[in-house]
Amino acid sequence: MRQQMVPGGGPEAAARSAPAAVPEAGPRVSIEALDFYYGETQALRGITLALPERQVTGMIGPSGCGKSTLLRVLNRMYDLYPNQRASGRVLMDGENIIGPDVDVNALRRRVGMVFQRPTPFPMSIYENIAFGVRLHERLSRAEMDERVEWSLTRAALWEEVKDRLRNAAGGLSGGQQQRLCIARSIAVRPEVILLDEPTSALDPISTLRIEELIDELKRDFTIAIVTHNMQQAARVADQVAFFYLGELVEAGPSAQIFTAPHERRTQEYITGRFG
Amino acid sequence: MAHAGARGDSIFGGLALAATAFVLLVLAGIALSTLIGGWPAFARFGASFVARTAWDPVQRDFGALVPIYGTIVTAVLSMLLAVPIAFGIAIFLTEVAPRPLAGPISAAIELLAGIPSIIYGMWGLFVFVPFMADWVDPWLAASLGRLPVLGALFSGPPLGLGMLTAGIILGVMVVPFVAAVMRDVFTLVPSALRESAFALGATRWEVVWHVVLPYTRTAVVGGIFLGLGRALGETMAVTFVLGNAHDFNLSLLAPSTSIAAAIANEFTEADSATYLSALIALGFILFVVTFIVLVFAKLLLLRLARQAGR
Repeated sequence: MRQQMVPGGGPEAAARSAPAAVPEAGPRVSIEALDFYYGETQALRGITLALPERQVTGMIGPSGCGKSTLLRVLNRMYDLYPNQRASGRVLMDGENIIGPDVDVNALRRRVGMVFQRPTPFPMSIYENIAFGVRLHERLSRAEMDERVEWSLTRAALWEEVKDRLRNAAGGLSGGQQQRLCIARSIAVRPEVILLDEPTSALDPISTLRIEELIDELKRDFTIAIVTHNMQQAARVADQVAFFYLGELVEAGPSAQIFTAPHERRTQEYITGRFG
Repeated sequence: MAHAGARGDSIFGGLALAATAFVLLVLAGIALSTLIGGWPAFARFGASFVARTAWDPVQRDFGALVPIYGTIVTAVLSMLLAVPIAFGIAIFLTEVAPRPLAGPISAAIELLAGIPSIIYGMWGLFVFVPFMADWVDPWLAASLGRLPVLGALFSGPPLGLGMLTAGIILGVMVVPFVAAVMRDVFTLVPSALRESAFALGATRWEVVWHVVLPYTRTAVVGGIFLGLGRALGETMAVTFVLGNAHDFNLSLLAPSTSIAAAIANEFTEADSATYLSALIALGFILFVVTFIVLVFAKLLLLRLARQAGR
């Protein structure tokens, strides 16, 4: 089993698997002048931010600053709720994904999401993975088996579950469940993965494993992670964006943000003076 | 000295136990008294009481097959109608309807549950039975009635009264109960779980069918069997539209009777000890049928859990 290759992905996938040590990677997603409203309340104000291809963008800031809201814009999750709306532009391959004519289901295949708490579906481990794949592709039995193994391997879970794929996913530990959710997201071969505080409900060991996994996944995927844990942001992110009260205060390479932030508010937040 | 709350705790525990014991006691009492009351009938006709179609008060010859068959067929028909409708209502209210609309519709459906069954019975007899007799029955007899095997279920004169009519009325009556349970449990599905499925690119229908329904299946099956329990025991509306005929007939268009309807109709006319005992025995059988349905529901749930689990 080739672990780093996307099965059936062809040359494009091979290209994506190339070493990602490109410092000046182009943006996979460009957010331009984004405003977001919950009813009358404005939650995001004029956000402009690029997510560089195959890099990890960490989003930090105090609770309610809008960082999770921003993630929910990127896969149009807000569409589920009638009172929420976004304006501005979010470009992916030149297409404005928050425009009215976007196929939201197809967009969500390209932009995966992992939530704060593990959310295994009430079905077997195997089915948890296969469910998402079946929504978008018709695979033969063997191809599906291969895809399940590939995604579980990528999520560093295969060795632990390969003998009990037919067991209920609810029987896994919290850390395993969260890795299953990650496996489920990458199984549909997205381009971007959104992680919304993926380790906040996990113990330190499981957290460490997920962080290692993020490091490994960025070779193939563009990742955005929301975290309350400054050390985590410093460990996993290439680029860090600091949000405060719905505004993007500053964004930059993570080393610069944590050692020499340009803004005083960033400085105060990362040194723990508020938030 | 013991903690001050410990005493209150043991009193509370005792009260809770007493409440539970009371229910079990009533249950056992009813089961036992119907068994004793029906014993003469069971003793006289033996176990074949449940398999005989005879019902002749003059000759004092009784069998329970027709009411048992009528009860089960009408209840099953009602569920065939009610479950898909209730499912649709619950999905609409929880997944599709805009919030300002969902509230009033929920209230309206709950009102449906508040209509007394005698009203359903009267409406059924005066409005629905003629409609069935004039339109539905003749059409069914002329179409499905001509099929080789299935035809037996849709043959006979279009009286309007009968198991199909009773099943439909029962279905309408249990819809609000099943829909209310489904709606309540659908709203309990964690939004993160729902969103996880949407986040994979699932449509509303895929989310409901593959995630919401499996997640809530225990409660949904519970709600369905709650409705089935009501349909099995419903008396008044069924009495009006079922025809109260003790003739065994396979056809859904034919008049029949149900256990509850037979008891309600004939209790005052029971002029012999055997007759009375046969009716009480029917009551005991209804008890047993309901119990079997519940056991079946539990087994079904166990099997579902195993399928999802292993």
